[in-house]
Amino acid sequence: MTGRIWAIALNTFREAARIRVLYGIGVLVLGSNLLALVLAQLSLNEPGRVARDVGLAGISLFGSLTAILLGVFLLYTEVARRTIHAIVAKPISRWEFVVGKYAGMAVVLSVLVAVFGLAMVAMLALQGTGLSSGLAKALVLSWFEVLTVAAIAIFFSSFSTPFLSGIFALATWVIGRLAPDLEATTQQASPVIRVTTKIALEIVPDVHLFAISGRSLDGAAVSVHADFVPWSYVALACGHGLGWIIALVAFAALLFHRRDFV
Amino acid sequence: MADLAIDVHALTKTYRTPFTRKKVEALRGVTFAVERGHIFGFVGPNGAGKTTTIRTLMGLIRPSAGSATLLGHPLGSRAARARVGFLPESPYFYDYLNVGELCDLAGRLFGLPPAVRKQRADALIEKLGLGRARGQSLKKFSKGMLQRAGLAQALMNDPELVVLDEPMSGLDPIGRKEVRDLILELRDQGKTVFFSTHILSDVEAITDRVAIVARGQLQAHGTPAELVSRSLQGVDVTVRLAAGEPAAALADGAHRVRRVGDELSLTLPADADVDAWLARAHAAGAKVVAVAPRHETLEDLFVRRVAGADRPASAGQAAP
Repeated sequence: MTGRIWAIALNTFREAARIRVLYGIGVLVLGSNLLALVLAQLSLNEPGRVARDVGLAGISLFGSLTAILLGVFLLYTEVARRTIHAIVAKPISRWEFVVGKYAGMAVVLSVLVAVFGLAMVAMLALQGTGLSSGLAKALVLSWFEVLTVAAIAIFFSSFSTPFLSGIFALATWVIGRLAPDLEATTQQASPVIRVTTKIALEIVPDVHLFAISGRSLDGAAVSVHADFVPWSYVALACGHGLGWIIALVAFAALLFHRRDFV
Repeated sequence: MADLAIDVHALTKTYRTPFTRKKVEALRGVTFAVERGHIFGFVGPNGAGKTTTIRTLMGLIRPSAGSATLLGHPLGSRAARARVGFLPESPYFYDYLNVGELCDLAGRLFGLPPAVRKQRADALIEKLGLGRARGQSLKKFSKGMLQRAGLAQALMNDPELVVLDEPMSGLDPIGRKEVRDLILELRDQGKTVFFSTHILSDVEAITDRVAIVARGQLQAHGTPAELVSRSLQGVDVTVRLAAGEPAAALADGAHRVRRVGDELSLTLPADADVDAWLARAHAAGAKVVAVAPRHETLEDLFVRRVAGADRPASAGQAAP
């Protein structure tokens, strides 16, 4: 089983490595790091804080967009280009195929987050800001955010076109990211809007758990620059993400299992 | 039953169109069996249901009704798929891989150990004449080379049953002959080969049994000798006409009349008096070039059965 999943994952990694847009996104991340350096120089106080914030935002934004891009295309193109015909005729279960595709994407995204993270660390070193455990925790949370977003994208891709999957995945990510703000904003709204928002927030992954810096947690403000979340919070948030990843990939596999490849 | 490589019973596939939800019957109760060690040709016009049948057998499509077994296992069984090699129609492979990597991927999915994967990939790549293109990505392959790469990946597991969807498609005459020879070689190794094709001469040349499918239904099923009528269908005659001799008088009552220069070819009806016709031709100054009895060919049968299937009155009738 693991051999077959690994074969698909390896092939997906090879395929993704050839997507030139990824290199463009890599350039954008490097660009955002350079922008962070410039903005840090322009800031009156705490240049390190600006550099860290812009760098982490770049990883989260571009990492998640890359996850959506890979998630909506890599599974869909297997069906559209019929490359899947020669694969599923072999002794591999369809769920193994979907898990293999996700695993391949996860490896690509992990490498990207690692590269983005290293670029940011290099940028911070240039800027004179040292490493901290808060930064490491924030990077781990960003990594799991990207992996969760990839699972959202592959779920939609299992039954929809790349365009629609992209829109659905982007909307789910944005809603999940803004969940606390949406909940607070709709407190005073009509019951219909309040209930609709509540339902929407219940059915989307709580992606906001991965971007905790600058928020209030249990009544205390947490920040990657000062008092950040403990490792136990990071573990819980990653566990939450892992649960969603398993559920979404399982649903994707279930939907994929029922499809005819004509 | 144990000797059947493929056993298909009343296989039916109905689709619904995306917006109107109109029913489209791609397969309507297809039933046939393929014995182990045979070469089985599956022929039919475009849209007949050949590829739908093959994709259903390979687990790509779920049947709406009916059942089938591959090597004694039910459809979709992993145990069967481990012993089957499959070449899809107009094969699309990952174009960033080279043929060695494609074979390696196939070998991994079959669970072969690395040394076996390498040894089989090397042997198949050489056998299929792709040795010199081994380093090239599949993107740079011609259609014929892709077809051969597809055959290589299909044979990586040394399968008992080989299912080939249009394996001769896109190949030049030499390529077609090589594939025919490969199919015969696979049969000689004791493997069962099931292939679909439009090319009837290939079917006549190499198959043990044939099935003709049209409009989602089986129209005929048997050995080529059983299917085609042994009775005389007519007499093919070729004569060289005297200079300026019009062909009209000799062509009267004949069919398939063709004149190229002074050479006239035609087919006389089976009940025609050939001696009397030849005497008339002699009297008109023509010289006889060839006289041959004409028996029904698989192509005649194919045209007859497919045309019959296309007539509304015959739609819905079961295959004999």
